[in-house]
Amino acid sequence: MPGESPKPTKYVAIEEEKEHLVFFQGFTLSVDAYGPISYLVSDYGTAEAALRINLKNTYFPIAELGYGKCEKTDYNTAVSYKVKAPYARFGIDFNMLKDKFQDNRLYVGVRYGISKYKYDIAGPAMIDPIWGGSQPFDFDGIDCTSHWAELLLGAEVKIYKNFHMGWAFRYKRELSSTKSDYAKPSCIPGYGYTTNSTCWGGTYSLIFDLNWGKKKSHKRGVNVEIRDIPQEETEKADDEQEEGAIENVENNDEIGETNNGKADESNDNEGGTEE
Amino acid sequence: MGVTLLMVGCYSNNCPLNNTVTCNYYFYDSEGTAITYGDTITVTTLMPGQKMMYIYRKLGNTTVTKAYQDTTLINQGYTESTTWQRNDTVLINKLYGASSMEIPMSYFHDADTLIFTYGSISLKDTIKIQHNSYPHVELPECGTYRYHTLKSITTTDAAIDHVEISNPLVNYDGSENIKIFFNGVVE
Repeated sequence: MPGESPKPTKYVAIEEEKEHLVFFQGFTLSVDAYGPISYLVSDYGTAEAALRINLKNTYFPIAELGYGKCEKTDYNTAVSYKVKAPYARFGIDFNMLKDKFQDNRLYVGVRYGISKYKYDIAGPAMIDPIWGGSQPFDFDGIDCTSHWAELLLGAEVKIYKNFHMGWAFRYKRELSSTKSDYAKPSCIPGYGYTTNSTCWGGTYSLIFDLNWGKKKSHKRGVNVEIRDIPQEETEKADDEQEEGAIENVENNDEIGETNNGKADESNDNEGGTEE
Repeated sequence: MGVTLLMVGCYSNNCPLNNTVTCNYYFYDSEGTAITYGDTITVTTLMPGQKMMYIYRKLGNTTVTKAYQDTTLINQGYTESTTWQRNDTVLINKLYGASSMEIPMSYFHDADTLIFTYGSISLKDTIKIQHNSYPHVELPECGTYRYHTLKSITTTDAAIDHVEISNPLVNYDGSENIKIFFNGVVE
């Protein structure tokens, strides 16, 4: 409204509560459902469990321990290969979702895998076609240690309370395996077939968060807000302004109307300053 | 679609193209220049065991040796006698104009004896190769192979100057294993 002075305000410091995730969020235990199913429908399968540490629901250092088994006989060559041994993988997952408070996760991760095992390989007797003679082809307990690396992309969703399910695609690459004169491992526990130097794999995990919900901390932070001055203070300030205005009017009358032009200039300057 | 293709690729096998393991011999002149040998070479090898040979002689005629009994020669007046000889078999028959050759190795013997017979000279060369043999499986779907490790090699000097082992591991990769340096120098 014209002629009405703006409502006076003042800066007030207020305290606001912010939620932060605690650094250590507990443990996550998971088992792989794909490995046993794989063994039922193919020559190779695993039984695997993993323990993860949940750091701020963002970083998940993980240890995966499992037992792999492979038994296959090639139809054309009649060469059989058997191996069963434990394996371990170590690495870290990173939750890529922006909202770390939600229970679903989309993550990328890396793994280093190792397995020390003994494999058996056997086949038809070898017959020398020129010089003659034959020898059985049967080697048991060939010692081998394999190392490999994996890159993975996975997702998991909350099913009920602290129970999650999720899948992960894994890109694997064999780093090294102990060499033997007689054979090379065609299947490594925890890695799979070594037919190519790189291989794809996957897991389908049943995941149990061993903490019940997110652990949050409430930290206090200082923020500044502009608030209206309470009514009582406003009235008091108005009275003071009125008294001051009356005094000014009296002084102006004493000075006379000749100084009006000067006063206008002064007002103009004040306006310029405000701009 | 891409993932499916990659997973299919994951299970393609890496079986070697060659399904036989041979020892590869390359020919050189006495100074080490690779050559194409301009004479026929027949390579036979000695086998375990012995065989009975029939020898037919007749005055004024050349002696005939046969692996089987020949009654027609007896009817022609030849006298027959028998002798025992070491079994042998031909590995390469009348190889001509070659710069290399591939010869299999025995699976269960420590040494192979190769006899080189030439078309233009009556003398023969004998090469003796000491080696170890062991089975090898690359992948079950590729079958079994026999690998060899060459230990030493000796030769006679009818047409051959000397021999050398260039790569002692004999497998299916097809690399040169033995250099044979023949007498003479290529101009």
